[in-house]
Amino acid sequence: MMGYLILIFFYLLSANFVFAQEQVEGLTVSLDKQVYKGGEVIKIKGKAPPGRPVYIEIASEKKVQVARLDARRDPDTGKIPYIFYLSKDIPALYMILMPKEVEEAYKIEKAKDKDWSVSRMLLTTGADVAYITPGKAKVERWQASILATILGSRGEKLEPLDDKGNRRQSMPLMKTRFRWPEKMFSPTVKINEDGTFEAEYKLPENAPSGTYTVIAAVDHTLRSEPITFKNDLPWYKVYFPKAGVSLNALGPFLLAVAVCTFGVTMGAGGGFILNPLLIFIYGMPHPIVAGSVLPTVLFSQASGVYNYAKIKFISWKLGIGVGLAMMVGGFIGPKLTEMITLEQYKFLFGWVLLILAAIMFWQTTPSYIARNQKEQAILKEFKRRAEEAAAKKAEKK
Amino acid sequence: MYMKINFWGQEFKANMIIGCLGGLIIAIASSMFGFGGGPFVVPLMTVLMGLPMYVVVGSSLLAIFFNTSMATSRVIGLGNCDFVLFAFMAAGAILGGFIGPQIARRLNPLWVKRVAVVGLTILALMLIGVIPTPK
Repeated sequence: MMGYLILIFFYLLSANFVFAQEQVEGLTVSLDKQVYKGGEVIKIKGKAPPGRPVYIEIASEKKVQVARLDARRDPDTGKIPYIFYLSKDIPALYMILMPKEVEEAYKIEKAKDKDWSVSRMLLTTGADVAYITPGKAKVERWQASILATILGSRGEKLEPLDDKGNRRQSMPLMKTRFRWPEKMFSPTVKINEDGTFEAEYKLPENAPSGTYTVIAAVDHTLRSEPITFKNDLPWYKVYFPKAGVSLNALGPFLLAVAVCTFGVTMGAGGGFILNPLLIFIYGMPHPIVAGSVLPTVLFSQASGVYNYAKIKFISWKLGIGVGLAMMVGGFIGPKLTEMITLEQYKFLFGWVLLILAAIMFWQTTPSYIARNQKEQAILKEFKRRAEEAAAKKAEKK
Repeated sequence: MYMKINFWGQEFKANMIIGCLGGLIIAIASSMFGFGGGPFVVPLMTVLMGLPMYVVVGSSLLAIFFNTSMATSRVIGLGNCDFVLFAFMAAGAILGGFIGPQIARRLNPLWVKRVAVVGLTILALMLIGVIPTPK
């Protein structure tokens, strides 16, 4: 009897031991739901070996294209590299949740304001172990030059990077995309003594639709199995694939209505106001903003050209002559947008707007108005003649 | 360098060096930042090239149409055009194009310009960073 009891005792002990060992080796993570909506809080729970820090990576499967020009002087050689980096594999939304214990390190890096760096943040907080998805991004690079930019190419393509190089170059691209530490990192994982952990993450209102993966990691080898959740958009929200955000579709529509209405009344197209507003309100990347606003003015221009051409009120020689020079400019410009940072874009665009404001101010001065009235009278007279001639011609036919 | 232009029985001489150089600079800026360029090309042709307004209105539009079509094909080729965003904004722009002239008739154009000057200056100072903006 006694021996039997001892046997049971040992059996239980060993079973317990095996159970405990499984826990030491494993790292599990789970979510409270499988489908969320933008703005909802995701509750994350899991278990890790006791005493280990836990980092949780959340990445959207939706990817965006991000580019940057490395024009920072190398402190060792004193040369500016002018290498253009581009990746199409940058997650549209990304977050690494870190243990609360590393908050100090996080705050030190955050205090560097716009000089913060992703690689330093990963290193000082230890979040390096959870930098998994963007680290696999394929980064292409080109040796940029002024000549190449004028010719419209990205420059001379350089050899593909190895895995390590891709990982390292993905980091500044992530900064270009997310810009601020709080958009990529959050020291909010609560880790208990027994190794269980919990965290909350508020899915942003503008989070991309589709599937997300969640992976927990304690070091480079011990990671949880990736789990997934979905972001379901309500009917009125639309995912903008290049901007990488989901927005109420009415927003950009109404913005365009308001700005273009005002633009028509003031005599300058909407692009001047639409671009900065899209950046300020939605925080969209500037190449996407410029690239999406430009085509919208094409239609009003085309209909204007058509209307003037109908009454022969265009000097084709002048229009095509200057137009060809402008076509060359239109070839060069869009490449430059990719090459400059958001700060440079905003600064230069600000000066363009100041010049525009100065031109418009000049157009409100009395001497201009007096001259313009005469000009407008002549313009009307000529336009009337042109319209009459066009009408006569139509009658003859 | 001077090009003769015939327009409705009148003859003009246009300085094409100024025209092409100015047009090139305006086109680079406009396609780089994503706006039309009309408000700059019109003063270029009237003030710097000395052409009368009635020659310029249609021809300047034709010139910037060259610029915008080339720039549009470029942004699409470079993968920087969000077609969904474009579709919603183009619809809004067309609607604004109908509403605008209706409103413009009832407003004093001088005052619209003055409001625009103030508005553009504020926006410019926000972009340059003189007026602080939230992140």
